[in-house]
Amino acid sequence: ENREAVLNFKSNRLTEALEEANALFDGVSRAREAALDAQFLVLASNIGKEKANELHSEMSAFDSTAYAEDLLTFMGINRTEETDGDSEDDSGGFLPRDAWKKVGEEALKYFRRAPVFHFMLGSFKSEPPVPKQRIERQKKASRGKAKQAMPAQLKKMEESHQEATEKEVERILRILQTYFENDPNIPISFFDFVIDPNSFARTVENMFHVSFLIRDGLARIKLDEDELPVIEPTKPSGGAEEDSRPGARNQVIIRLDQREWK
Amino acid sequence: QVIELVQFLLVKDQKKIPIKRAEMLKNVIREYRDAYSEIVNKAGKTLKEVFGLQLVEIDSKRHIYILINNLPCTEGKYLCRDEEKEKMGLLLIILSFIFMKGNSVKDSALWEFLHLLRVYPGKPHPVFGDVRKLVTEEFVRQKYLEVTAIPLTDPQEFKYQWGPRAEQEISKKDVLNSVAKIQGKDPTFWASQYSEAEA
Repeated sequence: ENREAVLNFKSNRLTEALEEANALFDGVSRAREAALDAQFLVLASNIGKEKANELHSEMSAFDSTAYAEDLLTFMGINRTEETDGDSEDDSGGFLPRDAWKKVGEEALKYFRRAPVFHFMLGSFKSEPPVPKQRIERQKKASRGKAKQAMPAQLKKMEESHQEATEKEVERILRILQTYFENDPNIPISFFDFVIDPNSFARTVENMFHVSFLIRDGLARIKLDEDELPVIEPTKPSGGAEEDSRPGARNQVIIRLDQREWK
Repeated sequence: QVIELVQFLLVKDQKKIPIKRAEMLKNVIREYRDAYSEIVNKAGKTLKEVFGLQLVEIDSKRHIYILINNLPCTEGKYLCRDEEKEKMGLLLIILSFIFMKGNSVKDSALWEFLHLLRVYPGKPHPVFGDVRKLVTEEFVRQKYLEVTAIPLTDPQEFKYQWGPRAEQEISKKDVLNSVAKIQGKDPTFWASQYSEAEA
């Protein structure tokens, strides 16, 4: 424990201790005591080595206590008259807030330290979460507005389209109903109904419109004896109920290409 | 690749932890392994000419590098945050103590000395916080200090010496001069330290 004291090159304590051990060893009779003695010798030799080291390099004594005192002065310590017994301030007085900064500024003059690199606009690592969210929100906000302007326009167009489609569908329904009125209870051949002998495109369009009628339950497709599809308008009354039965709807997929059409 | 390496080194240096060659290879050079030494040399040149920094290999066996300032120390203000300043102040004092005491001190001696400056390992410091961590971990990781265990000590004791970064960034002469300045004495007052510093 008293290493520091022993190490002080002015002291003879090590020698004294060794001499004491020597004297004690004469009285040793048990192995354990001999082991202790050996341990002591190891410790002593370590200390001896350290002392030798210190002798070598400490030709000029360096008084660290004085150095510390001078440092405190340099840091701007305010030495007060009273010495509080229980505080840790050994020498009394307290250090100003910038005490260590002062030392630091002095230190920086001597260090060839590479200045720590900072991105001018701030480093990425610590900041991304916050600005990113803001950017994203802003983007979303501006995008939302732009979209709204567009859909407004589109809606109008789509509506006009839809209206056109609906009109067509209605027209076809009326034609179908007219045909049927002439020949009630005889469903019309599907192909007769939709095919336009002059235009393939129109034929497809007709099929498209008819499919709306079917979907809305306003017309029905059945297969007749020849396995050919026929179409007939559904009766307005009671039709809705019937068609709500799960199995009531039939789906027909018809493939038609230009050759067939011809 | 050179520019990428330069940027990589600058960013890595922020924490002042030395950079390993393996890290450079993995993150920047990758496919260009064969041109490694050429790239590193060119990067070093860029760092010197553009930034005034020097790329120094502090461990030639394990290939570890640090960045130091190539420009001479100026009397003018060195721009850095207060926190950094304060740490450097503490570091200078520790390095001075080690040097003046013969280049190696026991941890107990170091802490005994720091006590005199109101710095205690067990007590959170108003400026430095966990001082023990700062000294034994941060300064050591940054290679400013080197700590070695003293054999055959129970409980285990350690000794502190200058680390390779300290050797590169500061000279014994400057340290002695700073001590002399603080104590209002001439550096030649400490003869053996003086001759060692002049060597």
